[in-house]
Amino acid sequence: MLDSFILQTLNGISYAALLFLLASGFTLTFGLMRIVNMAHGAYYLFGGYIGLTLAKSTGSLFLALIGGGIAAAILGYFADRVLIKRTGENHLTQVLVTIGIAYIIGDVSLEIWGGDAQKLPLPVFLKGIFELPGGIIYPKFRVFLFLIGLLVGIILWIIYRKTQIGAVIRAGVDDREIVSANGIHVDRLFIMVSALASFLAGFSGVLGGAFLTVYPGAEWEILVFALVVVIVGGLGSLEGAMIGSLVVGLLDAYGRWLAPELSYFVLFGPMAILLLFRPRGLFGSANMT
Amino acid sequence: MPFLASAYWLSLITQILIFGMLALGVELMLGHAGLFSLCHAAFFSVAAYTVAILQVRYGLPTVIAAPAGIVLGTLLGCIFGLSVRTRGVYFILVTLAMGYIIWGVGYRWASFTGGDSGVTNIPAPEVAGFSAADPMAYYYLVLVVLSLTLFAYRRLIYSPFGLVLRGIKSGEKRMLSLGFNPAAHLYIAFVISALIASLAGVLYAYFNKFVNPVSASLHISVEAVLMGIVGGTGTILGPLIGAGLVLGLRNWVSSFFTLHLAVMGLVFIAVVIWAPGGVMGIFKKWLTDAKER
Repeated sequence: MLDSFILQTLNGISYAALLFLLASGFTLTFGLMRIVNMAHGAYYLFGGYIGLTLAKSTGSLFLALIGGGIAAAILGYFADRVLIKRTGENHLTQVLVTIGIAYIIGDVSLEIWGGDAQKLPLPVFLKGIFELPGGIIYPKFRVFLFLIGLLVGIILWIIYRKTQIGAVIRAGVDDREIVSANGIHVDRLFIMVSALASFLAGFSGVLGGAFLTVYPGAEWEILVFALVVVIVGGLGSLEGAMIGSLVVGLLDAYGRWLAPELSYFVLFGPMAILLLFRPRGLFGSANMT
Repeated sequence: MPFLASAYWLSLITQILIFGMLALGVELMLGHAGLFSLCHAAFFSVAAYTVAILQVRYGLPTVIAAPAGIVLGTLLGCIFGLSVRTRGVYFILVTLAMGYIIWGVGYRWASFTGGDSGVTNIPAPEVAGFSAADPMAYYYLVLVVLSLTLFAYRRLIYSPFGLVLRGIKSGEKRMLSLGFNPAAHLYIAFVISALIASLAGVLYAYFNKFVNPVSASLHISVEAVLMGIVGGTGTILGPLIGAGLVLGLRNWVSSFFTLHLAVMGLVFIAVVIWAPGGVMGIFKKWLTDAKER
């Protein structure tokens, strides 16, 4: 019982790391640009497939991670400039347009890479298992995933809280007009943050491909989890995304373990109740609607 | 109607009427209350699953199964309706997540719902010895139910209640200061829209003859919204026209092109960006232009 508990906790944490990579970009683009990007999951899928192709042809996970991230960033840049920009600040329009973009990316990916679930090949040093004290066996790759999530989290947090760019981003989240009036090129900032967000989505897609496999429909499943993370943590808050992904990752792992048939309920039920009493999430600011 | 003689057209048109009804339910929230729900597939599928499970597994007659489906779908609407406490993006995201609970239950709770393959072999509806086993008879049944729903919907939209809803859409604070209770109005509208979606779900179960988790998926909710938007929000016939266009286009495209979801995505983007008023919007603009000339 205790062994399983520890194992499920570890599983939850490694899944949380993956969710954080995806959710952090979503929450920052929303916070700064007020864009609800439902295509974020599709960037994840696209990055995952590009990474899959690169990993299969070169055998390098590093190239796959960078390539998947860059491919998603390019895709995100064009989607942003050509389509999402036209929606203005209307969330309804944004949601519809980005769902349309996600349909196109998902369907074209299905055409190129086929409908089977495919697993990204891992380099030798990440294959195999660790044996933890107490006889708990744990895959090396999940530890790697957790470390990457932690590293990216720390880097993002330092940029966000300790650098001048971060200060500008935070100011932009609070009040865009004033930042713009202070002579800061807000448009350039938007492009940067949105590129970073899509890069992270593609990057997490490659990791997700090695962890959960890539398949058509994966984009919506992971997107819903990322949305729950963002909702629980509060839209626009980086710290909220960190706490939110831990909560969601752990609830999901415990739910799958204790009530496999009702695991979705275990995850979404508490979220719905939390939202009814605190609609802006744990760390969201009141002016975010 | 002679062209209905072909089984293909009859099936397509029945499907359009059923999904038009689902879109009508979504449209009540979207077009009149200004809230964009992504969970109406939940009510639709809970109603369909209830009919399927009661009829197939427990062998209960249609007079019990069909009303039970409507009641359970609407009850779920009473619970999910609490989401009207949120607005804007949060409403969209919360309804999306709630819709996913139902999909997850349908998919994972395999011992009760049949999992991925769902429940099959739903018999034709039969009430007091009259059976609608013939597709033509079922088409007329759907047509009658839809006409009654449209009639009631029209009454609702033009009633003071409908006016208050549109008032909330254009300015919630103003309605509040006028002494109305926006929260209660939105909640009731949500439950009514869940009721319409459940009705569509019951009709769908008997039409499709099997139910699987796809009926609860996000795609169904999204498609219903798409139909509403393509047809034109805030109108009564819009959802039906939208259902006809979306399903017609999908059937036509998928007959020679595998990328039909991508085509749907393009339609989505094109309509939202260039014709946000939908077909009815274009039609109205054309009418006013003609008058001015």
